[in-house]
Amino acid sequence: MNYTIRKSDRTGDQYYEIHHPSGLTVLVYPKEGFTSTYALFAANFGSICNRFVRDGREITVPDGTAHYLEHKLFESEDGDAFSKYAKTGASANAFTSFDMTGYLFQCSDKFAESLEILIDLIQSPYFTPETVAKEQGIIGQEIKMYQDNPDWCALMNLLGGLYHNHPIHTDIAGDIQSIAQITPEILYECYNSYYNLHNMLLCVAGKADPDEVLSILDEKLKPAGPFTTETIFPEEPYEVVKHYVEQKMPVAVPSFHLGFKLTKSTTELPDPKEVSTISIILDAFAGSGSKLYRELTDKGLVNASFSYDMSEGVGYGVIVFSGETHKPDEAAGYILQAVRELCREGVPADLFEEAKRSVYGQAVSVSDHPSSIASALANCFFTGREMFDSMDVTASLTLEEANEVIRHILDPDNYCLSVIRPLET
Amino acid sequence: MSEINRREICEGVSFTAVSDSRFKRERISASLIVPLNKDTAPANALLANVLTRSCREYPDLTTMARKLNSLYGAALYPSVTRRADYQIITIAASGIADRYTYDNSLVSAELARLLCSILFDPKLVDGTFCTEDTEQEQRQLVEELEAEFNDKRNYAIDQCVKVMCADEPYAIGRCGTKEDVARLTPDDLFAAWKKLLDTARVELFMLGSTDPAQAYDGFVPYFKDKPRSTDKKSIVRAAAPQVRRVEETDQISQSKLVMGYRCVRRDDDYGSVANYMTGVVLGGTPISKLFVNVREKQSLCYYCSASLANNKGLLLIDSGVETDQIEKAEKGISEQLSLLQNGELSDEELTAAKLSVKNMYMSKLDSLSSLQSHYLAESFHEKPLSPEELCSIAESVKKEDIIALSNEIKQDTVFSLKGTGGEES
Repeated sequence: MNYTIRKSDRTGDQYYEIHHPSGLTVLVYPKEGFTSTYALFAANFGSICNRFVRDGREITVPDGTAHYLEHKLFESEDGDAFSKYAKTGASANAFTSFDMTGYLFQCSDKFAESLEILIDLIQSPYFTPETVAKEQGIIGQEIKMYQDNPDWCALMNLLGGLYHNHPIHTDIAGDIQSIAQITPEILYECYNSYYNLHNMLLCVAGKADPDEVLSILDEKLKPAGPFTTETIFPEEPYEVVKHYVEQKMPVAVPSFHLGFKLTKSTTELPDPKEVSTISIILDAFAGSGSKLYRELTDKGLVNASFSYDMSEGVGYGVIVFSGETHKPDEAAGYILQAVRELCREGVPADLFEEAKRSVYGQAVSVSDHPSSIASALANCFFTGREMFDSMDVTASLTLEEANEVIRHILDPDNYCLSVIRPLET
Repeated sequence: MSEINRREICEGVSFTAVSDSRFKRERISASLIVPLNKDTAPANALLANVLTRSCREYPDLTTMARKLNSLYGAALYPSVTRRADYQIITIAASGIADRYTYDNSLVSAELARLLCSILFDPKLVDGTFCTEDTEQEQRQLVEELEAEFNDKRNYAIDQCVKVMCADEPYAIGRCGTKEDVARLTPDDLFAAWKKLLDTARVELFMLGSTDPAQAYDGFVPYFKDKPRSTDKKSIVRAAAPQVRRVEETDQISQSKLVMGYRCVRRDDDYGSVANYMTGVVLGGTPISKLFVNVREKQSLCYYCSASLANNKGLLLIDSGVETDQIEKAEKGISEQLSLLQNGELSDEELTAAKLSVKNMYMSKLDSLSSLQSHYLAESFHEKPLSPEELCSIAESVKKEDIIALSNEIKQDTVFSLKGTGGEES
C-alpha cells in the first residue's frame, strides 16, 4: 500500500494519507503514547445537499433528510449499532452538519472490532416503513429541543436573513412537516447518491497503526463505483434578504447574532490562506485584547458570552458576531460601525502580530486531542485544505496581505442582524 | 504516559505534578475549595472573574489579554463549580510548550509567573479591589446567571435540586443568587480574597512536560506554614416521606421532566464506583435501560439520562418530552428503575456498563484538563486513585451489589417544566 506521509516540521507530528482501492481516502494520525483512539467516518453530504442529479435524474428531497438518514443508518437488519458498540466499550455517536455527515467512535480498547462495526454501519443501510416511522417521534423531539434553543434559533433566523435560495437557510433537522414526508425510498436514494466511498473519508487519530487500519479496510470495504452525483445549488443573489430579523422567546437575557455574507461565498470556497487570514483578523479585531472588545465591555454591551466565528462551505460563507446582552441593537450597531472601520483601515500592526501568535498557538493545540485532530482533518479535506498548512500560512502572513484579504472578502453593508428578545409579560 | 507526583505544601494544600511529554500544551491550575455558604458563595464566584481580568502587572482587561495573546494564545480559565456541598474556585492557565513557539519564546515560565501574580498580587486601588473592575465583572456575572434560564434543560435540573435540597448548602448553587452578586462591593471581594487564600483547601496542579518546579516554587512562599481544614464531608439526606411534585409552565416547544431520587453515599472505593455504575446501567449510555426502553422502544423523548452523584447521595433522571407524554415518560422511567431493583440486569447490560465506564476512565489519560479534573475530584477521597485503578475496580463490580445499591434509590421529587407551545415571531 502506498502512503503519502504529511509531516509538520513545526510540531514534528505526521499523518498518513492513503487512497484505498475501494475509493475511500483514509487519514491516520498516530499519537505516540496515547491510550485512546478516535475514528470518524464522514460523508461529504450534509443538509445543504437537498437537490441533486444522478444518472440523469434530478431529485429533490425533503428538508432534514441527511440528518434522518444519519439516525436510521445506526440500525441495520441485525440490530442497532449502539448494541454492537456496547460489546466493545466504544463511545459512539454521529452528527449531521450543513456540509457533512459523520459517524464516530472513541475507544481505549478493541479498536479493530469497533472499526468493523463502524464500517458495517456505513455499508448496511436497512430502512423499512416501520423503522422509518418509528424515528419520527425521536427526531420530532430533537427538532423541538432546538426550537427552544435561543442560540440555534438566532443562527437559523440569521441565515434566513442572509440567504435567499441557498439551502443553508433551512434547519439541518428539517421540521415536523418535512420529516413526515421522508420514506425508505428517499433514504435509499440519498444513500445511493452520496454514500459512495469516493465521496467519503475515514480519519483515525490517537492510538493508531495505519497497517492495522488498512488490513481491516481491505477485508471489509466493497469497492465503490464511480461517484457521479452532482449537487445543485440554486442561484444566490449577492445581497442579503434583509438587514433585521427578530424572534421572541422565553429567555431572560436577549441576544444578537450579527452576520456578514462573504463576497466570494456565492461562487467559490475561500482559499486556505483566506481562512487563516480571517481567523487572525477576527482575533485582532474582536478578540479579548482588541479595542472593540474593550469598548463593548466598558459600555456594558457584551459579556463573556460574546463570540465570533466564520463558517464556510460550498456556496456560502459567513462571519458572525454574537452574544447575550440587554442592549442587542446597540451592541450590534457598535460592531457594525467597527466593521466599516476595519474594512477601511485594517487592523493595527501590534494587534496583528499578537493575534498571529494566538492563532498559531491554537493551531498547534489542535493536535493534543484525537477528536480535534479528526474533525480538523475532515473539515480540511472536504474544503480542499491541508491541516498543517494553516500553521505555515499563519507564521508567514504579513499585515498588508491580511488587510487586503479582509477588504476583498468582507462587505460591511451586506449584513443581517438577528435578535432574540424575551416574551412580553 | 503520565507520571504523577503529589506532595503536601502544608496541611490542606497539595501540589500535584503530572509530568507528561505527549502534549503540546502545558496547564497550571489552582483550585480553592470551601464549604458552600450563601453568604460567601457570591463573592468567591465574582472573585474568580475579577482576579483573571487583571493583576498589578497587567492592570486592565486589554493588557492582560494582549499578554496572553503574545504568549501564543495562552488562556486563563476561571471557573466556579459545585461538588457536593463544596464550592470550587479554579483558575487555570494553559499555553503551548516552549518548543512549539516559532521564535523560542518562554511561555511556560511566564504562565506560571502570571498565575501567581493573578492569585497573590492583584490590582488593588487604595488597598481594595478596583470599583470599575468589580462593577464590570458584577454586571457580566449577573447576566450570566440570568441567562441560565435560557437553557431549559439545566434550568429544570436546577429547579428540581432546589426543591430537593432546599435546606442544604447544595441548593445554593455554584455562585449563589444574582441578587447577592449584585450587592457585592470591592471591599467584600477583598475580604473574600484574603479568606479564600488563607482558609480554603487548595489543590494545585502543573501538567505537561515543563519542570513542575516552575509552578511549585511560585506557590510555596504563599502557602507554606498556613495549614487549613481538610474537611470533605457533605450532607446526605433520606428521601422525603412523600414524593414532592412541582410543576412550572413556560412557552417552550418541548417539556422537561426531572425526577430526583435520594440514594446512599458509599465512602469506600469499591462502593463509590459500584454506586456510580448503578446510575450508568440505568441511564448513562446508549444501551442503558432508559435509553433503550424509554427513548428507543417507546420513542418518547430525544434524551432520557440518569446521573448519580455518589458524594451527595443524589440521582437525577432528566428527559425532554412532549407535554402530553410526561405522565407516560414518568411511568416508563419508574418501571425501568423497578425492573433494576427487582434484579433485572443482564450480563450483557453489566458488561456494557463496565466497558463504557472503563473507556471513560482510560480516555482521561489523553487530556491534560481531564487529568486535572480527575485528580481534583479524587482529592475529595481519602486516597486519590488513578483512572487505571478506578478501571480495575469497575471491572470487579458485581451484579448483586448494583442491584442492592439500586434498592437504596428512593424517589423524592418530580419536577416538570411544561411547555405551552413555542415560537412567536
